[in-house]
Amino acid sequence: MAIDNRKPWPDLVGAERHEGGADEVLRLDDLHVSVHNGAATAVRGVCLRVQAGEIVGLVGESGSGKTLTCRAALGVLPAGCAVERGSVSFAGFEVTALSRRDWERLHGSRMGAVFQDPASYLNPVITVGRQLAEVLRVKLGMRRRAARQRAIELFESVGLRQPERVFDQIPAELSGGMLQRVMIAIAISCDPELLVADEPTTALDVTIQAEVLELLRQLRDDRGLAVLFVSHDLAVITQLCDRIAVFYAGEIVESGPAAEITQRPRHPYTEALLRVASVGDFRRRELEIIAGQPPRVGADITGCRFAARCPVAVPECGSGQVRSVPVGDQHHVRCVHAARSVVAL
Amino acid sequence: MSGRRRLIGHNGAKGSGSVLRLPSARIAVGILAAIAFLAAFGSVLAPQSPLAINANALFQGPSLHHLLGTDYLGRDVLSRLMVGTRLSVLTAVEAVGIGLVLGAIPGIATVFVGRSFDFAINRVSDALMTLPYIFFAVAVTAALGNGLPQAMIAVGILLAPLFFRVTRAATLEHARAQYVEAAELLGASKLHVIRVHVLRKVLPNIVVTTASMTAAALLAVSFLTFLGIGVQPPTPTWGGVMSSDLDYLAQAPWAPFIPGVLIAVTVGALNALADAFRDRSTAGTLVIADPIVHTDLERADGDRQSQAVA
Amino acid sequence: MTAAPAGAPPLLTVESVDVTLGRGWRANQVLSGVDLDIWPGEIVGLVGETGSGKTTLARTVVGLVDPTRGRIVFEGQPISALRRRARRAERRRGHVQLVFQDPLRSLDPDLTVAEIVAEGLRIRGEDDGDQIRRRATAALAKVGLDATVLQRTPGQISGGQRQRVSIARALAVEPRLLICDEPVSALDASSRNHVLRLLRELRDSLGLPIVVISHDLSSLAGIADRVVVLYRGRIVEDGPVERVFATPRHPYTALLMASAPSVRDDRPLAPHQLRRSGPGPVPQDGPGACVFAARCPFAADVCAAQPPLTPVSERWSVACHRHEEWGALAPSANP
Repeated sequence: MAIDNRKPWPDLVGAERHEGGADEVLRLDDLHVSVHNGAATAVRGVCLRVQAGEIVGLVGESGSGKTLTCRAALGVLPAGCAVERGSVSFAGFEVTALSRRDWERLHGSRMGAVFQDPASYLNPVITVGRQLAEVLRVKLGMRRRAARQRAIELFESVGLRQPERVFDQIPAELSGGMLQRVMIAIAISCDPELLVADEPTTALDVTIQAEVLELLRQLRDDRGLAVLFVSHDLAVITQLCDRIAVFYAGEIVESGPAAEITQRPRHPYTEALLRVASVGDFRRRELEIIAGQPPRVGADITGCRFAARCPVAVPECGSGQVRSVPVGDQHHVRCVHAARSVVAL
Repeated sequence: MSGRRRLIGHNGAKGSGSVLRLPSARIAVGILAAIAFLAAFGSVLAPQSPLAINANALFQGPSLHHLLGTDYLGRDVLSRLMVGTRLSVLTAVEAVGIGLVLGAIPGIATVFVGRSFDFAINRVSDALMTLPYIFFAVAVTAALGNGLPQAMIAVGILLAPLFFRVTRAATLEHARAQYVEAAELLGASKLHVIRVHVLRKVLPNIVVTTASMTAAALLAVSFLTFLGIGVQPPTPTWGGVMSSDLDYLAQAPWAPFIPGVLIAVTVGALNALADAFRDRSTAGTLVIADPIVHTDLERADGDRQSQAVA
Repeated sequence: MTAAPAGAPPLLTVESVDVTLGRGWRANQVLSGVDLDIWPGEIVGLVGETGSGKTTLARTVVGLVDPTRGRIVFEGQPISALRRRARRAERRRGHVQLVFQDPLRSLDPDLTVAEIVAEGLRIRGEDDGDQIRRRATAALAKVGLDATVLQRTPGQISGGQRQRVSIARALAVEPRLLICDEPVSALDASSRNHVLRLLRELRDSLGLPIVVISHDLSSLAGIADRVVVLYRGRIVEDGPVERVFATPRHPYTALLMASAPSVRDDRPLAPHQLRRSGPGPVPQDGPGACVFAARCPFAADVCAAQPPLTPVSERWSVACHRHEEWGALAPSANP
């Protein structure tokens, strides 16, 4: 029995259909995620849009909320976490309140995911070829031989040399980079619209990382794949992504086109991150740091959450919620100074 | 939309609270405390002499005068059991003590001393494990004289391999830890490593094994005394009482249950205590959790390590 | 061997070291013919990817692994040949210390920070409690931690703090050479720079030579004086950091540089230009060939023989037959 997961689901006929851009693959609106069974709010007011054929990067320190946001987008929040407010929409359909069964139909077929440690997501005793073929058979209803053929093609398209040989190897026989490519192959096997990648290259050697990033760019170019890429490494993000969202303490403090943000950062935290990031200019000898620590997850802070560490904080920063204002083409900043300059215009 | 209901491990949480957290453990400790008390003071507190024969009161059921009735010689069962506790319990403890010393010490040592020593001790341990304890006990009493303490030496020797295996496995696990390498780099001797790093981590395993081996030893004592090995009548022992009760089953069918329940309850309490110790010592280790659930949400200060491990 | 500078002899010498791990069919030659000198007062960055042997090299220097061939010489004494008691005595002197990569594993979770940092002193036989406490607190101060962490266990402090405790433990015995195995890999960007700065400060204030092992080239830029590049058990390049980064002489070094992600887009070469394209057997990839030949886009017939480490200029050597030519062959060459 084959399950065709590409048809729109009858259950959602009554659901709202948002009029985003025709190409809008993922949309997060005012997303609030609570953790520890509602004890703290780890993600606040996150608004994000991912279009087809673009790579959007989420960057921030550990605990900044970027991982939880991407899990919310995938519908795989850990136990004890829940979406308190706001919505997640995928390809125009509101999916925030989707049942688990419906999420499972989405996963793999229209949404793919890759995570940091590929070995822990693969069965160690079954060949990787069989694991990919299994996905094809279950999700696309392919027959065994066709699935094998397609699996080998997919392995080749993700840059694995000697794909027939790789088909018959178990995860232990493959290097980290090759395993990650296998994960990517599985993730794109059913031609999804969205690929979510959570720190996929963090554990890889730098030369292999470069190859995997090139692969992601190629997938975007060839298939019009939308990619949501999460990393703590700003250098990787700026190199790979078309648009960036900078997370701090659960909020997006700045978002916009990568080139714009790299050259004209408007938020003090972004500026600090740029200075600190593994910079390509190998001649520099200064090692920058950001003084202080980020607030505890879900801490209750009035006003700007970065104010305590901000070199240009003013009293106004501590009063009331700081809203995100547009400061350029698709460039938004959550900062009192930016808001002021916008008002002044 | 709520998250999937899956177990999240609590990495790093120490076994919190004492062993007495669980009700079963509390009951077990209570029972064992009573038994220990009896072992110490049984002979003083027994209402009657365990040896007093009363031909007029044979096979009596429980009564005010004889709370657990009398046996085939009219002796008060309660007193016999109370006095017999000492011999049974002490020899069981003796056996476990011997097993512990003969087993745990080589268990730790073989990991640190050379390979040939390790090989030799392992083979000795394997050989000992093949011996059936009843015959070995008989052989030892033949050599050393017919007494329960001597018979329990035999049991102790045969318990040693179990202590050895458990201690050795636990030690191996910790002896290869990176902090041990770090200590070696500072010039630590093996003794230092054992004392500072290994011993306290292996102790929980030893404690658990001791508790369950005491239960095994007690059963062994009961069986040996039941068979009459090592004990001279009319000295009361739990197994001995039960054995003579079985001879007169027709006259007093209820009788063997009394020592039987006593043995069973004590053994059960020891095993429950062993379980409680085991649960407590594993509470601090990593629980395999859903790999997606990796968030250490309390620490947001540059700590990527704990993010992947929680 | 690298060209010796005028004057001081090297503090540590790794002499033609081979290391084979495992036995029988599982034997794996992890290091081959490694020659390395460390001079006082310098920070050397040892760079290599997975399988390069960099951690094994660190472990061999401190004696956790015995070299199959060659030896380790410290201040003129061959320390790799020491056994047992002599080795323990040498270690108690605390000359060469290793800071492990993962502080979660290298710190005993049941001991307090105070006990961990003081361990080396206790092993030496110091029993004056006050003296020990003073030196432990001093070591912690050197790494920027104050007395509040003394009674905490490793599980109760953050990753960055754990890494510092690990370094403090090594510093407490006043080493003459510090080896740090990937000190910052487990930390994120800002904590990373905190620790790197700390290492730099230690060198500046104590004159302590430090070997920093890393897979991340760019973090070394901030602190290393010299960079040594390891590939599959062999040193392929060894030279002053600015010059190697400006004009790498070995194609692998150039590949590392080109692959390192950067906020600025100012690299002369892109990674794919430094990779061998296309599948198929490599003519130069036989036994005894250059270790990098299989991946090298510039491999020629001469590369069927492993190139020795040859000096390019003072204190700069490279192991490549074509180190003078390949630059011109790369599509948009370095000037």
